[in-house]
Amino acid sequence: MMSVPNMMSNPLSDYQAPNQVSFSPYEFNGGTILAVAGEDYALIATDTRLSQGFSIHSRDSPKTYPLSNGSVLGCCGFHGDVLTLTKVLGARLQIFEKEHNKPMPTPSVAAMLSTILYYRRFFPYYTHNIVAGLDEEGKGCVYSFDPVGSYEREVFRAKGSASAMLQPLLDNQIGGKNQQSYKVVPIPLKKCVSMVKDVFTSAAERDIYTGDNILISIITKDGVKSEQFPLRRD
Amino acid sequence: MAAPCVEPAKGGFSFENCGRNDRFKEMGLKFPTAYKTGTTIAGVIFKDGVVLGADTRATEDTVVADKNCAKIHYMADNIYCCGAGTAADTEMTTQMISADLELHRLNTGRVPRVCTANRLLKQMLFRYQGYIGAALVLGGVDVTGPSLYSIWPHGSTDKLPFVTMGSGSLAAMAMFEDRFKPNMSREEAMKLVRDGIAAGIFNDLGSGSNVDLCVITKDKVEYIRPHEIANQKGVKQGSYIYKKGTTAVLSSQVKKIDIEVVATEVKPQPMDTQ
Amino acid sequence: MFLTRSEYDRGVNTFSPEGRLFQVEYAIEAIKLGSTAIGIQTSEGVVLAVEKRVTSPLIEAASIEKIMEVDKHIACAMSGLIADSKTLIDRARVEAQNHWFTYNEKMNIESVTQAVSNLALQFGDDDRDPGAMSRPFGVALLFAGVDEKGPRLFHMDPSGTFIQYDGKAIGSGSEGAQQALQEVYHKSMTLKEACRSALTILKQVMEEKLNSTNVEMCTVTPGSLFRMFTKDELENIIKDL
Repeated sequence: MMSVPNMMSNPLSDYQAPNQVSFSPYEFNGGTILAVAGEDYALIATDTRLSQGFSIHSRDSPKTYPLSNGSVLGCCGFHGDVLTLTKVLGARLQIFEKEHNKPMPTPSVAAMLSTILYYRRFFPYYTHNIVAGLDEEGKGCVYSFDPVGSYEREVFRAKGSASAMLQPLLDNQIGGKNQQSYKVVPIPLKKCVSMVKDVFTSAAERDIYTGDNILISIITKDGVKSEQFPLRRD
Repeated sequence: MAAPCVEPAKGGFSFENCGRNDRFKEMGLKFPTAYKTGTTIAGVIFKDGVVLGADTRATEDTVVADKNCAKIHYMADNIYCCGAGTAADTEMTTQMISADLELHRLNTGRVPRVCTANRLLKQMLFRYQGYIGAALVLGGVDVTGPSLYSIWPHGSTDKLPFVTMGSGSLAAMAMFEDRFKPNMSREEAMKLVRDGIAAGIFNDLGSGSNVDLCVITKDKVEYIRPHEIANQKGVKQGSYIYKKGTTAVLSSQVKKIDIEVVATEVKPQPMDTQ
Repeated sequence: MFLTRSEYDRGVNTFSPEGRLFQVEYAIEAIKLGSTAIGIQTSEGVVLAVEKRVTSPLIEAASIEKIMEVDKHIACAMSGLIADSKTLIDRARVEAQNHWFTYNEKMNIESVTQAVSNLALQFGDDDRDPGAMSRPFGVALLFAGVDEKGPRLFHMDPSGTFIQYDGKAIGSGSEGAQQALQEVYHKSMTLKEACRSALTILKQVMEEKLNSTNVEMCTVTPGSLFRMFTKDELENIIKDL
């Protein structure tokens, strides 16, 4: 009897498993941002450390970006996306100013940023954003965003690597959470500045991606003023 | 199946739930992470002995878990060992081998040698094929003089005049490569190790806080902790003291405890002197 | 102008040696055939009034629409080839909505006008862009609205040129109407006066007798934004003219 090669016993002998190619274009570069809206000012602070893994890329890289309309954008996460997003935002602001003969109001910056982020819904900018400025009535305003464009106006907000450490403290100290008979009032600027320094000092104790310096930007009707404050460097 | 926790462990590791845990992992359960000592550890041999150094930061992922932990472990009166890697592994491994060395000293009546400690450590680590995540710098002085080893988690070792380990090892080694020379003075050696550890503290995010040193010479050990507080803690600007009554009292209840008073009369009794 | 007619009025994008684009100029001429439309800007708001040519008793007058809502705060009146206005109004509406969507604010009247005027010169006689228009638009527009700068009135012609006006008339009766506007307009005019004046002037320049079915009128004010006048409201004003 002739032996016939039995194809049925292994019909998929020449079949190769699909090749999966991995693609990980994102990196986390650390950094923390924090913004508070006051009665007639907005404050936004950032640490100045830029890191990757266990290495420090820069000790002087603040993650706040002044915009041409007088408001300030806080932007951290993947630094490559931060660079692109801030560039896009800067261009869009210029276009608006030329097209409509006026600086873009801060609430409109927030709305526009939301559309820019949502445009990349399925390949997002890996960035955490806060926009701080004054609204059309001259009151301090803070808008916080998720990476795909959901946004909300808030009184105080922390984003980035140490946000989980800062936010509860702000909830308690500014929001009056878990404090009986605490009256929530807009926080005066001086108190706000010292509190921001303190929360960053505390965060630098425990978060390895927060340190070196903080840059505090204060936005009033007279413009943006900045000050630096040292943090631990280890 | 054996009832857990009833009998004290006979020694060694329990592998009881490995199979179950693997299945949990496949189902997507996230397991707790162990503390790592991201760490810079280092040592150099100098004229009269060995200087060991370490930073004091322990991390859990990106959060600092311990700001002042001790990474230079006691092995014997004349031998110390710095540990990097999984905190629990460095702690337990050095303790176990320390106990073995003490038994060895009692059995032989001799001061244990550093090469003995090295053998015991590498054999234990090799047995566990790298699963015990301990990277060590072992140093001490014995009858043969000062010696220094680096020991890797898989059990390989190097005997060298200057070594570094941990995530900050490159920063520290950069200093050593630049400035190490044989037969340094005690002060020179301490300064060099201090600078190596400081390089790790400032340039490696896994290392931080203070510099600990341990100087071992023929008949003296100086464990200096901290040798230097490399980072001063920030000073608070404001005060965060709460007013009395800030914490809400949701409900209160006063219960009277009925006390039953039992009076007993105590009569003087003569002492039994029989 | 017609005496110097030459081959230069063939190509829509060809300048004549005197530097003119005849097709665009002809398009502007076409407006003068259209029904009259008037806009008046006051400090209280803007009014738009247009004549509807009901050429046959069988026409359903309500189906002639010459005032359109662009957004809640912007109205647009037109004269000329009304069919052409469809494209322009569509663009205006899309721009206004897109601005609101992107910036969460109302679009300025000037910006809307600018956006629409960008469309006006996008014509050409080659076939490279199948979507492009082959001739200029034959319609003129009056944009009326309120924004952060207050009540605003803009006029845009087929060349894409747009200018802000206190009072502007377009269409067949525009010459007379514009003259009348200049006489009657003053800075402290109320909106009510403006509505009355607009209808009075329309009445003067219209061939047919003005009534509530052959005119349309709307106002845009900061309080009520875009609002069309009802037949009854029109009749109320007309009876006192």
